[in-house]
This record gives sequence, C-alpha cells and structure tokens, in this order.
Amino acid sequence: MKNVGMTDGPTGHRAPGHRAGRARPGESAPGRPGPAETDLGTLLNRVGRGDEEAFGAVYERVAATAFGLVQRVLRDPAQAEEVTQEVMLDVWRTAARFEPDRGSPQAWVATIAHRRAVDRVRSVQAAARRDDQAARPGEAYDDVAEAVEARLERERVRRCLGSLTELQRESIVLAYYGGYTYREVAGLLGIALGTTKTRMRDGLIRLRDCLGVT
Amino acid sequence: MASRRADLHTLAGPYALNALPPGDRARFERHLAACDACEQEVRGLQETAARMAAAAAVPPPGRLRDRVLAEAARTRQLPPAGPEAAGARWPWRARRAAAARRSTPGARPRWLRPVALVLSAAFAAAAVAFGFVALDTQHTLSQAQARDHMLAAVLTAPDAKMMSAPVTGGGTATLVMSHREHALAFSSAGLPGLPAGQGYELWLMGPSGGRPAAMLPHPAHGMTSPVIATGIRAGDTVELTVEPAGGAPHPTTAPILRLSI
Repeated sequence: MKNVGMTDGPTGHRAPGHRAGRARPGESAPGRPGPAETDLGTLLNRVGRGDEEAFGAVYERVAATAFGLVQRVLRDPAQAEEVTQEVMLDVWRTAARFEPDRGSPQAWVATIAHRRAVDRVRSVQAAARRDDQAARPGEAYDDVAEAVEARLERERVRRCLGSLTELQRESIVLAYYGGYTYREVAGLLGIALGTTKTRMRDGLIRLRDCLGVT
Repeated sequence: MASRRADLHTLAGPYALNALPPGDRARFERHLAACDACEQEVRGLQETAARMAAAAAVPPPGRLRDRVLAEAARTRQLPPAGPEAAGARWPWRARRAAAARRSTPGARPRWLRPVALVLSAAFAAAAVAFGFVALDTQHTLSQAQARDHMLAAVLTAPDAKMMSAPVTGGGTATLVMSHREHALAFSSAGLPGLPAGQGYELWLMGPSGGRPAAMLPHPAHGMTSPVIATGIRAGDTVELTVEPAGGAPHPTTAPILRLSI
C-alpha cells in the first residue's frame, strides 16, 4: 500500500508544507534526488534550462491531467491527443517563464491545457463535442497508487461540486469541462449574463473553500 | 464607477474558468494589472480550477510520450519572461513581474509609463501656461516645486497603482496612487466645460467623513493638469463634484465620480 494520503491528485497536489518531494516508499534513492521524487516546480525550473530528463519527469506528472482535461472539453480522443502534444510542448517552450510565487505548477499547466482546448473548440466548434457523452474514467493507469489518487481527487471534487447550488455547479461545469464562454453558458441555462458571472465566481469561491485550496 | 468596478470584479470567476471572450479577457487583465486583491482571488480560483482538471485526469496513450519528447528535443525554448514576451500565458503576471524587477527605488514600473507620460505632459503644458503666475512670488514657486516633487514621488513609487474611470456627464478621470507615499495624483480629460464661477472639486471621503482635496485647474486642450491629494488612507473614496469656483467645505452636489482606493 502506497502513501495515497500524502498527495491530492495524479499531478501531485500536495498539502501546504509538503513541497519537498514525492518520497514514495521504495523509490527513494540515496544522494541527489532523482526526477521521480523532485518537486514539480524544481523540475520545471530544470526544464527551463533545457533539461530533457526533467521534462520527461514533468510529462509523467502532468500529462494525464492535461490529456484528461483536454479530452473532457474536446470529447474527441484523437484531437485531444494532438492538443495535449501542443500543451506539453508549450510547457517545454515556456518553462523558464513559470513563476513559482505566482501559483502552483499544476495550476500553470492546467491553465495552458484549458486555454489550448478552448482555443481549439472555439476555432473549430467541433460538432462532436456537443454529444452529452461523459468522459471515460481513467482506464490504463500503470501505477496503482496514481489511479487511486486520481479516484480520490475525483471523489473530492465531485463531493464539493455537490455542495454548490445547481446554478453554480452547472455554470462552472459547462464553462470548465464544456469549454463554453459565460455568454454561451448564460444562453444554455437561460439566465442573465450578470447572474452567470456571479454564479461562476460565487461557486468557485465555495468550491475553493470546500477543497481547502489555499 | 463603483458599479463598473464591481462588475469587472465578478469577471474573476469566468476568467479563472477561461470562459471570457478575448475582448473581456483583455479588459479584465488590464484591471488585474492594477488590482492586488483581484490577482490574489484569481490565483485561488485558478488553483481551484486546476483541482477540477486533476479530477478529470486520464492517462494519454503511451505513444504520445515518445512523440512529445522527440518534438521537444528539436524545439527551441523561450527565455524567461520579459514584459513584451509574446504568448506569455499569464500576461498580467509577466507585466507585474517586470514591474517588480524594475522597482528599485526611483525606477518606474513599465506599465505606468504611459500614464506618467500623459500626466507629466499635462503637467508640462500647465507649467508653460501658468508659469508666469508661478514666478510671481517665491511662495507660489516653492508650492509648485513641492507639487512637482510629490507628483514624481507618487508616479515612481514602487506600489504606484493606476485607476481610470469614466465621469458621469462625460470625460475620463485617471489617478495614480501610492499608499506608501500616502498620496495620489489626479488628472482628467474631456470633462464638460463649466460656467464661470463653477469648478470641479476633488474630495477624499473616509469612514469619518470627507475633506476637500483639491480644485481641478482649468483644462488645457481638454485635459486638467494633475493635482495631488495627500493623506490618503486605505478605504478612502475619491469623489468629484461641481462646486463654486472658490471651493466648498463640503460637497453640495451629487458626485459625478466615485472611486474606492
């Protein structure tokens, strides 16, 4: 049994103060920490200086989040793969511009991934994604602990989304997982623009507090 | 103004969800560059969105890794962010970082330059127009020098923040404030002309009442040269009213501008 409780998600969200490393039992090696147990921010820093090995480690940590999110928005796995490649190359190209004091590496990558995904959606308006097909849960995790972490994170987010009002939840889910603009969300839900903006903000604040985001 | 700012503020939600069309996004990012509280909120909301991203994680097909790593090996990387970095993902952050790097004492954050230029241009124009008055007495001269000095201190303060808002009835007000200097510089453009005997008066309204801050000078080419208000406190509100030309001890008309600072 691995230390599932130590991290919050497949991309390595950690409780505050637990930034030093992944430190999984069985993976720690003496001497200089290897990529597998180095803090994601430190890895990005190395990537910014052209370290390809560090980039491989970053890929391991964030590719599932990027791919899952992009696929959730685009619906089409083939396109999702293409866009995820663009996202990861953005990470490679712009790693030197990541500023650790401005937010977590996870949020940085998620922002890049989401923007890439909606850019694609808004330029193509792919018809296929309008199906109401739910994203398939993770199939081939080769690491059992990661799969469990992903499931725990999914469960936490699901539970917290459940604590929002219906309008808050729907507007957030449509915007983030659906890739719609707030105007489109307002149209879909049949509510005023101002109300939509307020629901999104209030809902996110509630979600933030429920998830204990600091 | 208050309502426009409040309205801007609610955009933090859709912004963090990346649900703003490009125009709104640019408008909000301009707002973010001058609003610490908003930036902090946006940061928290983006971290929250990232948790939703993590909850959606699905491992990509194995072949993607090889493709990405091979492609990276032949892709040139960008240097650390400069203010003019194209394609920076968190543009306002790059801008602020650049400003922070630059904010050695006396340095002027880059985003502030256009304002500073506008304000100093207005100041210079006013100095030319009214210079002979200033030279009348030593007293007036030192007052002008003191104002010039204060203006420079506010514009170049490391914590200088700019706000701009439309004025009811027409025109735009721009202010640059520094809580460190406890002062703000205020200028306007395009305010409607007033009948002789009336003027625009600037007020600092606090929880314990308000006080007159300054009378705006007569506009030159539609712009009023900057006035300085000192002794500002967090939570103060800046208001503008139309008053008798000599100024009034308390506002006697409804404010045509109200800005929280």
